Amino acid sequence: MTDFESNEIRPMDEIFGEPIEENVDHQDEARVGRGVDRRKFLALAGGLGAAGVLGATLGPRLWESFFSSSSKAPAPLKLAVSPASVSAKGPLILVTLYGGNDGLNTVIPYETSIYESNRGSLAIDPSKVLPLADGYGLHPSMPGFKRLWDAKQLAIVQGVGFANPNYSHFESMDIWQSGVPGEPVSSGWLGRWLDATGSSPLKAVSVGPTMPTLLTGVKVQGAAIPPGKLVLPGDSAEQMLFATLSQINSGEPKLLSEAAAASSNLIQLSHQMGPTLSRTATTDPLHLKNADPSSLAANGGAALAIANGGGGQSTPNVLATQLSIVANLILAGAVPQVYSVELGGFDTHVNQLTTQERLLGELDAAVSAFVEAMANTPHGNEAVVMIYTEFGRRVSANSSAGTDHGWANNVLIAGPKVKGGFYGEPPDLARLQEGNLVFTTDFRTVYATMFDKVLGVDPKPFLLGTFNSLSMV
Amino acid sequence: MDTKSALALLYRRAGFGASSSELSQASARGFTATLTEVIGGLKQTDPAADAIEVPTMMQPPFFKPNSLNTPAAIAKFNQTLSQERIALTNWWLGRMVATNSPLKEKLTFFLHCHFPTAISKVRFPAYMYRQNQIFRTLGSGDFTNLTTAVSTDPAMLIWLDAGTDRIPDPNENFARELMERFTMGIGTYTELDVRAAAFAFTGWHLNNATGQFAVASKLHSNTPQTFLGHQGITTGQEVINTVTRTRACAQFVVSSVWSRFAYPVMPSDPLVVELASTYSNDRNMTNLLRKVFEHPNFLSATSATGLIKQPVEYVVGALRALKIPAAKIPTIRPPVMNALASLGQVLFDPPSVGGWPQNEYWLSTSAALARWRFAHQLALVGDVSIVADSPAASRVEAAGELLSITSWSSSTAAALKKASANPHMLVTLALVSPEYVTN
Repeated sequence: MTDFESNEIRPMDEIFGEPIEENVDHQDEARVGRGVDRRKFLALAGGLGAAGVLGATLGPRLWESFFSSSSKAPAPLKLAVSPASVSAKGPLILVTLYGGNDGLNTVIPYETSIYESNRGSLAIDPSKVLPLADGYGLHPSMPGFKRLWDAKQLAIVQGVGFANPNYSHFESMDIWQSGVPGEPVSSGWLGRWLDATGSSPLKAVSVGPTMPTLLTGVKVQGAAIPPGKLVLPGDSAEQMLFATLSQINSGEPKLLSEAAAASSNLIQLSHQMGPTLSRTATTDPLHLKNADPSSLAANGGAALAIANGGGGQSTPNVLATQLSIVANLILAGAVPQVYSVELGGFDTHVNQLTTQERLLGELDAAVSAFVEAMANTPHGNEAVVMIYTEFGRRVSANSSAGTDHGWANNVLIAGPKVKGGFYGEPPDLARLQEGNLVFTTDFRTVYATMFDKVLGVDPKPFLLGTFNSLSMV
Repeated sequence: MDTKSALALLYRRAGFGASSSELSQASARGFTATLTEVIGGLKQTDPAADAIEVPTMMQPPFFKPNSLNTPAAIAKFNQTLSQERIALTNWWLGRMVATNSPLKEKLTFFLHCHFPTAISKVRFPAYMYRQNQIFRTLGSGDFTNLTTAVSTDPAMLIWLDAGTDRIPDPNENFARELMERFTMGIGTYTELDVRAAAFAFTGWHLNNATGQFAVASKLHSNTPQTFLGHQGITTGQEVINTVTRTRACAQFVVSSVWSRFAYPVMPSDPLVVELASTYSNDRNMTNLLRKVFEHPNFLSATSATGLIKQPVEYVVGALRALKIPAAKIPTIRPPVMNALASLGQVLFDPPSVGGWPQNEYWLSTSAALARWRFAHQLALVGDVSIVADSPAASRVEAAGELLSITSWSSSTAAALKKASANPHMLVTLALVSPEYVTN
């Protein structure tokens, strides 16, 4: 029997949206929608490029078939990077928070009266904030991040964003994942790096059923790791013929080639990482009660997929589960240099306090356990975790005890070798535009740092411009 | 494109594929007559699908005041919700497998993708069922009526927080997504329009005791708003009437339909502009679908390989082809809902208000493995007699008939030929072939 949990009711305070006017009496005890309505905002209906190595003639034409709600067609990108220029470094672990996490209630300017006056009842009680420095403190549900901060392993980049922001989840996440503001492109910022690594789909991987845009290149798409044991079906004869099916025929339509490429990438994934994934499918290097790889292995990973599909309904903690798979691979010295994991549900238009507290608690438990499990291990010691979301939220609260879509936000970076502290310039709460925080640090500065300091490559060709890196790694 | 290929394409897109006998009967009638029949299905009753029993679900107010006070009571309540959800999912899958009017279920699925609403937030299966019935009963009619019905229905009120929208600072969630995702598309309105619409929707809410929509006058703003250049807008209904009559909305809806039934296009595509001008005359979805299937570009090579099957289409198509009875869906091995979850498409639970992306999104390595696992198990339990009963030399062709595929690529044909001694393996491989994975 499948284990569908995502529509379950949590304790009393999370059952309904906030009561309104003539609602019946029991509403008072039963409030709070979970605010978990959005998770994936891949621009242009997924924005995925080629599902594997497709040869030069297919790549530039990829954009043609992308469905778009925008009136602009994504333009192909030209790259001038040879595989030889890329060396093996990392691992870099990207944590995407879908829905737009409220950064102002994550890294809180709790000593500022403007914060309190704008946020009203959504302001976090200053006495509960976990103090950092310079009048900022962490949300009370983030004791693990506080521990990392005290160990100088947490860097916080403030005021990150881009010019001409808009309020769309889709457009904003596409800009973050493609790394290109302005004209849309169909490749991701790490997908373009993947193209240059020698086009192995195993260099940059995600955990789960589908693949985010950020790992999609013009020529190659990163592999998606299915949770649980990776054992191919059928006997060797069937597997051999599956491989035959996965051959690309010259001149065939694009989607047929891409379907074939996904299959051949699966075979490659199975050969290179299947034994490690199967061997470690029931181990939990994070030692968290609710990261539960064994339950995942039991049903072919469906539980994780369901939990993900449920927009961050997290029983077990799906982020911790994804990170435990990543940790197993890193500890085993597996080939990926980049990993992508995600947590959804941050679109808190209503009853933000309860929803964000739960989600930040899950983020905190998962990431701090991961970083601590990586420390002092041969491969994990180099691990750098970068946590971002598509936008910050409006500074003043709305009338539904929530916040609407906003602009600039902070990016959190953690890892054993990270130089902890604040980076960038905090946005001025007294100088808002349209009620929003204005960015002070271009998001590509953070990406440049990841390329330069974590992956050990020149960022310029991948970011289509020059951005100075920061010194946090 | 020859008539048989054209009909196979029509049956794949307007339904979930055709059996070889359906296809040969359709060939005798010709494309036009078959299209008329397919479209006619939208207006007919559907006894085969209606025979699938609607599961019993808790109804509003769902629980008595003070009845969920203990962890045990909450756990029991959750268990019921979870069971209802599984039953509801199996019910819809059952309808798709059993139906003799596949376009009606296909359109219902399309509308689920167009107005993505997730049970993870809505919570109550009874509400998801209600929305699903709106798609099924109103989906083939007027788009303004449909949008109104969906917008004032509990599932959407909960999903996009319209049920908490109130003065003085209305939350913008529903107003923004109505325009961005359901009707007009980004770049066709301003932030002032979002704000104006949010004011017009203030006071909209769901009475949790009765499950009925209402407007709370005390929380509603009566200040006239200027919205998309129209002055004096005060109600949510006026906003819906205004947006659904815009040219941008016509192009957005047409591009959404064309992108899911033919191949991906942008709202600015000349083909969309052409169809949108006809659509604008009546905003009728049945007429739009007919125009799409009649369009020469629908029967083009671009269209024939222009889509990847979405997981639901893949799974339902395979279940129908291998003659799995709808009643067996809840218990069959492979577990159908697990397969859909592993493929990343859980019915009633799209990942966001953006819904499921399409095409390359479904071509991950994880999905390739999930399809193979499903196909391998399904071929063992399904009816593959059309292949098994054929002489070995014609089994590759028979597999094509089984799955309404009129031609195989050279590498697929080579692989299938080598499997022809083993019908189960041959059908497994046909089900994971690039030809079947595309739509």
